[in-house]
Amino acid sequence: MSNVILFNLTTFLFGVASALYLGALYARNDKIAGAGTWVCVLAAVVSTAALGVRWYESYQMGIGRIPVTNLYESLVFFAWSVNLFYLVVERKYRNRTFGAFVMPIAFFTMVFAVYNDSSIQPLVPALQSYWLHAHVITCFVGYAAFAVSAGVAVMYLLKARQENAKISEGVVGLLPPTKTLDDLVYRAIIWGFPFLTVGIITGAAWANYAWGTYWSWDPKETWSLIVWLVYALFLHARVTRGWHGRRAAIISIVGFLATIMCYLGVNLVLSGLHSYGGG
Amino acid sequence: MADEKRTPSPIDRAWDFFISVKLAIVTLIVLAVTSILGTIIEQNQPPEKYHQIYEDWAFALMDRLNLFDMYHSVWFLLLLVLFTVNLTCCTIDRFPRMLRVVRNPRTKLEGSLEKSLSLSDRWKRKGTLPEWAGKYAAALSASFAKPKVSEDGGEVHLYAETGVASRFGVYVTHLSIIIIFIGAIVGNVFGFKGNVNVPEGEAVTQVPVRGGTRMQDLGFTVRCNAFSLETYPSGQPKAYKSDLSVIDGGREVLRKTIVVNDPLQYKGIWFYQSSYGEAGGATAHVAVARKDGTPVRMLALAANEPVPVEGYGIIRGVNYERNFQGSGPALQVVVEKPGQPSASFWLVQGRPDLDRRRADSLVFTFGGLSSKMFTGLQVAKDPGVNIVWLGCALMVIGLIMAFFLSHQRVWVRLARGTDGRVEVVLAGSASRNRIAFEKRFEKLQTGVKAAGQ
Repeated sequence: MSNVILFNLTTFLFGVASALYLGALYARNDKIAGAGTWVCVLAAVVSTAALGVRWYESYQMGIGRIPVTNLYESLVFFAWSVNLFYLVVERKYRNRTFGAFVMPIAFFTMVFAVYNDSSIQPLVPALQSYWLHAHVITCFVGYAAFAVSAGVAVMYLLKARQENAKISEGVVGLLPPTKTLDDLVYRAIIWGFPFLTVGIITGAAWANYAWGTYWSWDPKETWSLIVWLVYALFLHARVTRGWHGRRAAIISIVGFLATIMCYLGVNLVLSGLHSYGGG
Repeated sequence: MADEKRTPSPIDRAWDFFISVKLAIVTLIVLAVTSILGTIIEQNQPPEKYHQIYEDWAFALMDRLNLFDMYHSVWFLLLLVLFTVNLTCCTIDRFPRMLRVVRNPRTKLEGSLEKSLSLSDRWKRKGTLPEWAGKYAAALSASFAKPKVSEDGGEVHLYAETGVASRFGVYVTHLSIIIIFIGAIVGNVFGFKGNVNVPEGEAVTQVPVRGGTRMQDLGFTVRCNAFSLETYPSGQPKAYKSDLSVIDGGREVLRKTIVVNDPLQYKGIWFYQSSYGEAGGATAHVAVARKDGTPVRMLALAANEPVPVEGYGIIRGVNYERNFQGSGPALQVVVEKPGQPSASFWLVQGRPDLDRRRADSLVFTFGGLSSKMFTGLQVAKDPGVNIVWLGCALMVIGLIMAFFLSHQRVWVRLARGTDGRVEVVLAGSASRNRIAFEKRFEKLQTGVKAAGQ
């Protein structure tokens, strides 16, 4: 299938971009990071084309559906979202060091995807709904924002430790100042949180339309609520109690771990209605 | 609120407890952590299953703590109540204060306020106070917002603001959570949920309510006319379809074929395609024709049920084989003609030529076996669901207001300086996204300064 070849190429490009960003940090050379940016742009084009081709191929097979319905597809869609969200952040903050911490997330997601079944399977009746599009897309934009936030939170923790020790050498010295990092941890979350909220609401609306229950405490729903609660905690602690810096970074990382559990853990470890875990 | 001099009464202390954000943070953590339990321990399983997994003492303890149906347990509901009370009290405590601030903004740039603002600029102009106040008011109206002009002790103050709605975002969001809970309670009290299996051709007027023994009257009749299952070429299920009719007041008022994700609704009660199965009792289809091939009729034979054929005799289907002597599916029938001994023979599916060899007056063709299906319907009535959607919509609006709007305020103060010139101070602040506001303020600064020059 040509879409799988394009996705494999995407995986390779994400790997190259990650290597370039990391290499740029070690060599303290922004030109290498600049090349990383172009590889990311190329990967964005290739992966978008791959999604389009996969969508088209599903129609040719007489199945015809958006490519976000099993584990393989959701992983590549997640990596696609992370890459795009990252490019926006890089452009906005005019700093390429983020790439070394965010692009590996996209790369390892794709590597994991490669080990999963990539065939196009028809949709089971429960997934045949227009709600699928709104639900999956909003959830994954949210997940991608949380991934970026957590990546930057790791950068913050490294940078803060060095600032405390009053040294500015080495790789960490190149990272943006802690104030910028702290701000970005927060900013990514205020994008992710409304998207996750809409993702949960569209999921509830869909469940109500398919089963007559908008909330049934199934493990996936419950974990999405847990993720929501963690980020709600982050926002309240930050806005009303001034939790900045280290504590905010730690909650962001905990939030992303909960997100991974919600996204993958529930399907791989627990049982529930979200069928793609079996795929 | 509590008078500073008195020792706080228990009510005051309780109030202080419920309005604290610390409580909100602790409740969020406790809710998140306890919610994990119910995802690790499978919920609402039969006791035998739990006994296989857990030791007796562990089972007893977990049962005591309602961990097998924890999201409906009293302690979890109490946590949700605490969460809601906290939310409500915080709102009652803070909303009026915020409203006062919004209604009576500090329209005068006093010295203390000026010092607290990080963005400010000052300059001097020749001329009169009203003249410059007019020019700057026009400049602010054009590039920011129409300012409020006030005079105080020989000074003129201009005050303009945008994005004041952002201050309400958090209250809209909190209110939305309360509305969602109200919707959930309304649904639980005034609605019901149930499952019912309806065999093809049969009808129901009531459904058993889930998690109870009660039967819920629908107030009308729902009939399943037919059920069908479509599969993809690979054999995976593509669609489950139930052709349903609603009969109210003795006549059919609604007919719809429902599939998963496309339910039927009548008088606030929804019917969802949920499962299906064989209702038992297969039917064999047999075509009857004359020797010359003219068709006579179609027979539907239930197992061992005698069916008369006019001017011929009585026929019964007695046996079925999936692969009869290597020729495929076949039906064994017994024919009783008046005054003759009963005869038994096999009809191979789709092979009338084989039956012709019997040289009888009629030729039978076995068309296949079909089994009667039932459709499994989920039935739900939830009068609170629209309240929940209202809450959800408000939540999204509230979050957008809170996160993507910013309450931006700009002040201009004009005073007569000691040298006779007009001293101008421009200052601004934003409730969030200060970096973006700094850029806007710089532009405003250049624009206002240039006004009237």
